[in-house]
Amino acid sequence: MAKLWTVVKREYLERVRTKWFIIVTLFGPIFFAMIMVLPGYLSVKGMREARVTNLRIVDATGLGIGERVSQRLAAPQISAGMAPSMARVDTVTQEGVADVEEALLARVVSREENGVLILDSATVASGRARYLGRDAGSVGQVDALEGAVRTALIGARLEALGLDAPTADAITRLRVRIDAEKVTDQGKGGSGLAGTVFGFGVAFLLYMSIILYGQNILRGVLEEKTTRVAEVVVSSVSPDVLLAGKVIGVGAVGLTQMLVWVASGVLFWEQRSRVFSAMGIQNMPQISFPTIDPLVLVALVLYFILGYTFYASLFAAVGAMVGSQEEAQQASQPVLMLLVFSIIFVQPVMTNPTGQLALVMSWLPFSAPIIMPMRMTATPVPPLEIAGSLFGLALACAAAIWLSARIYRVGLLMYGKRPSMRELLRWIRQS
Amino acid sequence: MTELALEIRDVSKRYAEHVAVKQLSLAVPRGTVYGLLGPNGAGKTTTIRMVLNVIGPDTGSITVFGQSHKDPTVLDRLGYLPEERGLYKKMSVRDVLRFLAELKGVDRKRADRGIDEWLERLSLRTPEKDWGKAKVDELSRGMQQKVQFIGTLLHDPELVILDEPFSGLDPINAQALKDTVVELRRRGKTVIFSTHLMDNAERLCDSVCIIARGEKVLDGSLAAVKAENAGRTVAVALDGGASAAVQEVLQDRALVLRADDHSRYFEVELTASGDPQVLLTRLIAAGAVLQRFERVQPSLHQIFLQRVGAAGVEEGMSGHG
Repeated sequence: MAKLWTVVKREYLERVRTKWFIIVTLFGPIFFAMIMVLPGYLSVKGMREARVTNLRIVDATGLGIGERVSQRLAAPQISAGMAPSMARVDTVTQEGVADVEEALLARVVSREENGVLILDSATVASGRARYLGRDAGSVGQVDALEGAVRTALIGARLEALGLDAPTADAITRLRVRIDAEKVTDQGKGGSGLAGTVFGFGVAFLLYMSIILYGQNILRGVLEEKTTRVAEVVVSSVSPDVLLAGKVIGVGAVGLTQMLVWVASGVLFWEQRSRVFSAMGIQNMPQISFPTIDPLVLVALVLYFILGYTFYASLFAAVGAMVGSQEEAQQASQPVLMLLVFSIIFVQPVMTNPTGQLALVMSWLPFSAPIIMPMRMTATPVPPLEIAGSLFGLALACAAAIWLSARIYRVGLLMYGKRPSMRELLRWIRQS
Repeated sequence: MTELALEIRDVSKRYAEHVAVKQLSLAVPRGTVYGLLGPNGAGKTTTIRMVLNVIGPDTGSITVFGQSHKDPTVLDRLGYLPEERGLYKKMSVRDVLRFLAELKGVDRKRADRGIDEWLERLSLRTPEKDWGKAKVDELSRGMQQKVQFIGTLLHDPELVILDEPFSGLDPINAQALKDTVVELRRRGKTVIFSTHLMDNAERLCDSVCIIARGEKVLDGSLAAVKAENAGRTVAVALDGGASAAVQEVLQDRALVLRADDHSRYFEVELTASGDPQVLLTRLIAAGAVLQRFERVQPSLHQIFLQRVGAAGVEEGMSGHG
């Protein structure tokens, strides 16, 4: 037992100390923080530098539409808690438009103004307005202007119909948001989009970790074999202990990484208001987190551990079979195929998490560690089904360990040609 | 306390294509240096791996210090230097050695003390440079070999098994290894090493076992092996040529197996029942004037060639230890 611990310690420490591990582990939370903060930060930054307010409005409508547009344009800044910068409005008569337009055009050319919005009688009648600006090609800018002019006109028309100004204003501010909720055979099947995104996230995280750390084991075994360290080590511990120590040690590295990621994610989520306000953002982005049953969380961890162990032992066996990196790539194809096969069906399973395909894939041991956790986050799965699939996976795990321990024992000290299928069977029988 | 460090009884190991070891029995007394000799592919490495419980024998039993070799505590008392050597390249020398020692049940503190001692003894740690802190792949090949010795001996094993220890060593490291073997023996440790270089074996071993094609050819103490084979060869030098009567004696197939004729000097190999004393009387009776009549002690190399033969050497070339 003490020797197993020694092996685990070496495998763990040697990997955790590498630059590669530190970079990837730190990059995760930074990436997470970026996708959380960046959209909010950018929109605020966009509003700060907003050119929408940095323009001149020429109002020839005679109805004060210009003033309304100016206020509309500043509204996002006000709701973001910033001091608004209002666009200057030049109120002129229909005839005076041409003169003012020419003067302002010169200022735009000389970069003193960003653009000129011209509102006249045509605007009131048909909603047509003109914008002359350096950023006239920007869809966002034109969209913002169109929106502002539209609500300003609607407000003016409502007032003309006899509504008082605040009421008219309130009506034009109306916003629509649809909360989509998914319905499946079992009724309301979860939280729609958020659940799907989370499900995909879990599936890909498991897939990536299994591939990454499975191949890491393969490389470790191969290194011990090609440098012939294995020979010294197995004169102190049995190959079984060495294999177990490797799988546990590398698995612990994977868990450490995930723990850092999840913990920093949760911490960030808890502290999000502080982070956002520090960056000058008042209204946080609307992201709804699907609520996760703690039991599901336990199952997720179990699926990771069992799935990882299943594939890690297979990869270890491959590492013991081959003699070089090139051979390893070829020989690990069948194992990789099993993984890729599972990930191909992520999309169809996600579209119909209660269908026949989803059911079968979450029972097959090699795809269960990826498909089932994803399914569980998308739709409630009967606990008995989860327990059954976990049990099947555990059995397959035991079989994989038994098989690869045998291949490992013989292969570790066998140099030369890669074994054929027949030789491999003999190895398994022999040891 | 048993007198034997290692006892192998009727051990066989068969692979699909060939028999690696056949009905092998040998006994290594405590506190001796024991040579396991044989051509390449004779089954030396297979035998060693079976002792280390890396490969399971098909039949037979192996005991180390009177305990079954499968007893997990036995491995801690063994030190092993494999023929194919290697270390974790990316680890620091100290970390590798510490790891190897901990695998043998040595605690960290004791390991560190041992590492300091050994690094200094093999001049891997001098006031200018401490190679213990360097990564293994920064070391020269010779230095890596030294580190590997340290790894084998750091836990102060009672039985040290060295597989072809001299192959690939530079003269300085080879000398260091010889010195170490001698010192281990003085301290009462048992050393077993395999080799196909008879000179090293002859100088270092108390006892030897020669195997070829997986079978034991002979074993015993070096003195006994030599004595046993000594009776066979007699060097004869004559004053003047050999007369017809003398030739007749030398061609008597009941007495002489083979006589290497150098006209005035003969190397005579006697038959199994041939007595040198009889040869001497008959030569004198035939009127030979003797300058020299000597029972020659054959070198281990000659014994090896004689007993294993060219066929055994060649056959062995194809397989793996």
